[in-house]
Amino acid sequence: MKYLPLIVKNCLRNRRRSVLTIASLAISLCLLGVMMALYYALFIGGQPAKAQARRVVVRHKVSIVFPMPLYYREKIAQVPGVEEVMVWQWFGGVYKDSRDQRNFFARLGVEADKLFKVYQDYQLPDEQKKAFIQDPAGCVVNKALAERHGFKVGDKILIKGDIFPFDLDLTVRGIYTSSDFDDDSLWFNFKYLENALRNSSRLSAGTFTILAKTPEDVPSICRTVDEMFANSTAPTKTESEYAFGLSFLSFLGNIKVILMSICGAVTFTILLISANTMAMSVRERVREVGVLRTLGFQKSTILWLILAESALISLVGGALGVLIAQGLCAAIRQGPAILQQTKTLTIEGPVFAALVGISMLIGVLSAIVPAWSASRENIIDALRFTD
Amino acid sequence: MSETVIRTHGLTKEFVRDEFHVVALKDAEMEVQRGEFVELMGPSGSGKSTLLHLVAAMDRPTRGELEVMGFKLNGLSDSEIAKWRNRHVGFVFQSFNLIPVLTALENVELPLKLTHLKRGERVQHAATALKLVGLEDRMGHYPRQLSGGQEQRVAIARAIVTDPDLLLCDEPTGNLDAKSAQEVLTLLGRLNKEYGKTIVMVTHDPHAAHYATKIRYIDKGELLPDGGKPEDWN
Repeated sequence: MKYLPLIVKNCLRNRRRSVLTIASLAISLCLLGVMMALYYALFIGGQPAKAQARRVVVRHKVSIVFPMPLYYREKIAQVPGVEEVMVWQWFGGVYKDSRDQRNFFARLGVEADKLFKVYQDYQLPDEQKKAFIQDPAGCVVNKALAERHGFKVGDKILIKGDIFPFDLDLTVRGIYTSSDFDDDSLWFNFKYLENALRNSSRLSAGTFTILAKTPEDVPSICRTVDEMFANSTAPTKTESEYAFGLSFLSFLGNIKVILMSICGAVTFTILLISANTMAMSVRERVREVGVLRTLGFQKSTILWLILAESALISLVGGALGVLIAQGLCAAIRQGPAILQQTKTLTIEGPVFAALVGISMLIGVLSAIVPAWSASRENIIDALRFTD
Repeated sequence: MSETVIRTHGLTKEFVRDEFHVVALKDAEMEVQRGEFVELMGPSGSGKSTLLHLVAAMDRPTRGELEVMGFKLNGLSDSEIAKWRNRHVGFVFQSFNLIPVLTALENVELPLKLTHLKRGERVQHAATALKLVGLEDRMGHYPRQLSGGQEQRVAIARAIVTDPDLLLCDEPTGNLDAKSAQEVLTLLGRLNKEYGKTIVMVTHDPHAAHYATKIRYIDKGELLPDGGKPEDWN
């Protein structure tokens, strides 16, 4: 502690350079922080929402775009641990102008009478639930979507068909909120599809959503369902709804590798910036190192002093970066629900600890070579040194 | 009874610079007694500073024996030498070499950070040293806010703050005007006479002779015997 004032004063020796270094560290560590927060949320610390823990999704083993026969529903319902099974069909379609990204939201056909049993976290008045269940052309939308497009109960919504050879002429029967993950979705009554595709082979299920009796039943349900249809023409892949959500990420490529690569590149770049700054800073002070050695300072003390100075600058930059990253995470949470995980994105404890560790490591690594050289410099040569 | 503070025997320093073999100091024989004020004089490049650096253990001799304050320096490790230097030797440079980001008080306090003194004690000692050199009203000033003479006095305060037995000064008046040089020499004279500090000073300053108890000359790397003087020396 007795060297702290000296370390701080050395950090402030060239204020402009220190401020610029701290700023570059802060920006880089902010980017690193958001990437690591995302990685952590997606692959390490992310937990399914409370209501989601019991939900399981069954899809075609090859791809979600391949349909499954509707009779699977009855077979799945027989699996031990299954409380409810609901058919789920992606309609796609176009709302108004498809070139406007705001008009893109999920349009899904579901068994209306089962929707609120499977999605128990959806909240809307009972009369709206009843109206939705009773109207074959009814739909419900979530509150955020309703607010964005000004949908009110009783409004008409026209969705032009693209995958299916007909349009949806729907009536808004309810507006729901969710205590867990509130994504932008429009759920319409599956009866609409049944009526439109009567006697057509296209009447099928895109996925089945299962509500398990307990979260502990989920693994065995996944295993049993997949074994049941393993040798059929439409083999299945069954996974928790949480894992199912994550599987969409694979459409973008190997997200793990992408995120790790960005994190690695950012860390390496910060290291180079910081190393360059520390090399300049130490080079300016070789003569002072000679003076300190003359006063009796040990080589190891000088090495430690320079490393501590670098680590301090790095830590301040890192702390600022974490603060900015936390702000960015908050902004992402408020933004459109791209993924369930982005709605709860934050700098978790382990990510914070990792960022602090990385900051320290960058500080130490960037200064180790110039600090080592300076501390080992012959006193006479150091005193004669002119920059 | 006098006590020998510095004793050298056959002290030699050679080095290779740009493929040239240089003998900076050759077979130097010297004894300095406690309380002496020794001046080392000689032309530029004669080896005065080399001898001073060897005595301060800032450099290692190529051969020869060197005993300072009863310590045979050849046998000490770098770490032991650093501790020894902090306790027993104060060094004053020609170009002051104060740390620019520290105030006068903080500069003087610096060697005390290597001791076991508490912060309050360190500050008190540093303030006393600054008072001794007449700079009690400049404690909070940074080096850039001081004149050359004041900077050198701060450097002397830093050299004496640990109360070393031996003060080594490498042309301490070389960068000063005549008035400041006089002040610095007077101060060193006081430290020698009133506080009993043994001083070895490399200098070109002819006025310094008034303060010295002994003058030794070096010429072309050879330390001339007591009383010896180069023939062409003015």
